[in-house]
Amino acid sequence: MTMVAVARGVGRRALELVLVVSLLVFMVGPIVWLGLRAFSGLWRYPQLLPKQWTVSGWSQVFHDPNLSHSMKLSFEFAPVVTVVSAAICLPAAYAFSRYTFPGRRVLLISLFATNAFPKIGLYISMAGVFYSLNLMGTFMGVVIVQLIGTVVFMTWIPAAAFSAIPRSLEEAARDVGAGPLRVFFRVTFPLAAPAIFVAMILSFLASFDEAQGTFLVGVPNYITMPTEMYTLVLNYPEQVAAVFALLLALPSVLLMALVRKHVMGGKLAEGFQLR
Amino acid sequence: MVLPPVAVIAVFIGFPVVAAIAYTLGRAGGPNSVVASLGQRQFIVQHGVTLDAYRDVLSNDTIHRDLWATIWVTIVSTLVVVVVSWAIALYLRLADTRLARIVSALSVVPLFIPVVIASYAILTFYASDGFMRTIAYHLGWNGFPTLGFTLTCVVLAEIWVNIPFGVLMMSSGLNGVPNNLIEAARDSGASMPRVVRSILLPMNVIPTVIVGTFTAIYVLGSFTVPYLTGPTAPNLLGPTMSNFFSAFNQPQQAEVLAIVVFVFALGIGAVYVWANVRTGKRSSVAQ
Repeated sequence: MTMVAVARGVGRRALELVLVVSLLVFMVGPIVWLGLRAFSGLWRYPQLLPKQWTVSGWSQVFHDPNLSHSMKLSFEFAPVVTVVSAAICLPAAYAFSRYTFPGRRVLLISLFATNAFPKIGLYISMAGVFYSLNLMGTFMGVVIVQLIGTVVFMTWIPAAAFSAIPRSLEEAARDVGAGPLRVFFRVTFPLAAPAIFVAMILSFLASFDEAQGTFLVGVPNYITMPTEMYTLVLNYPEQVAAVFALLLALPSVLLMALVRKHVMGGKLAEGFQLR
Repeated sequence: MVLPPVAVIAVFIGFPVVAAIAYTLGRAGGPNSVVASLGQRQFIVQHGVTLDAYRDVLSNDTIHRDLWATIWVTIVSTLVVVVVSWAIALYLRLADTRLARIVSALSVVPLFIPVVIASYAILTFYASDGFMRTIAYHLGWNGFPTLGFTLTCVVLAEIWVNIPFGVLMMSSGLNGVPNNLIEAARDSGASMPRVVRSILLPMNVIPTVIVGTFTAIYVLGSFTVPYLTGPTAPNLLGPTMSNFFSAFNQPQQAEVLAIVVFVFALGIGAVYVWANVRTGKRSSVAQ
């Protein structure tokens, strides 16, 4: 190898490293910085690290009645929304993957269209009508707003899973005398269960992390953790906001880690191509 | 069986959107009666329709500036997300090193973080006492700009939030290109840039369109990111809409803005559907 080629190789390697470090700072930097804030006592610009470390923000968060109430609320809404969403969407997912019927494609696209609406505009339109339906500021209203964000997950991911199960398996079960319900619960459902689980986790998170619609419809009666963040940022000490933010991120980090493989494996991406 | 979710969408999305259109055109009856009885500065007609609410909103200078801010932030964020996620996905497709695995992990970090937290974290990162200014100071640059509460910060946060979706989509598209196709081209003497241009680029059009459309629609409809990281004014239409609805008690103006944003999104969505239908046809021929 000539000197020029070696120099070029080193240069490329250096450029690669600079780009990766920039990506690291851009993607992870803000989170690490926030993490430091949650434990910082005295910290003034331009000190690179806090002068004092403390955990007092943590006890403040747990002793503030507003904050602990919003945590409780978040853990009430998310499971309710997930279960309602599953009850509504799973049968549809099965039907979409197993039957062809007139209008199937139009219905699929119309479900998907929920994603094509700019969210805040949609919530504003919904809120206008929610007054007349007596849903403003109610538990039901918040459940509906959060439900909207889960329909696509709950339909597409299980539908893809149902489609991936060979019909011959179901037919074989039927041949040996199993009724349709038995076939579903003994053959189809167990095979699709992992995907359904993933869809439920993603729905749980979508609901748990939903802030803007809940803010519009739920305030002032139902202030969940993410909506509490809006006020926290402006009205609380920075350290308390940082602690609360970390706590709010915790379920996300844990649950996403659980379904990481499925989401990264391209399954989610495939769902975005209309078929 | 498919009825329940379709009914939910029809009742809680379709119906409100139709009602919103009627309300913005001056019709305050039926489902709009309660909101119209609460709102101020409304333009209502008993018969026919009126565009007065639209005129009122679109002649407002503050909203003009917000509208342009929204358009610019959407264009810039979308372009950067498309280009950066293309670059990352391409790198991941072609390089199989430890560094590539790190890049792959880094690019999906935002999936794990709720948007509210991300916005807040990014705000403090670029604030006047944030990391960027601190590190610049220690490197001898005293005048690093404070980006917190600026539209630049909004763009940075929108990019951050949308990168994982971009990279996953693009990667899924590029992974669909068979290895032997690339090798065959390389064997017959094509340079790497040539392979990218003539094979990978044309075979990854749909994912690119999807990333572009969904990112643009996401930015158009975002509230949390601009609300937390952006300036008071001009800011994106998301916070403006919310202000008109709640703080100013002018729901009709808020809904006019919602419809304006829908019209933008409709244009963007049309591109997405068109691209899908086109390939749908092509792949059904291939099967």
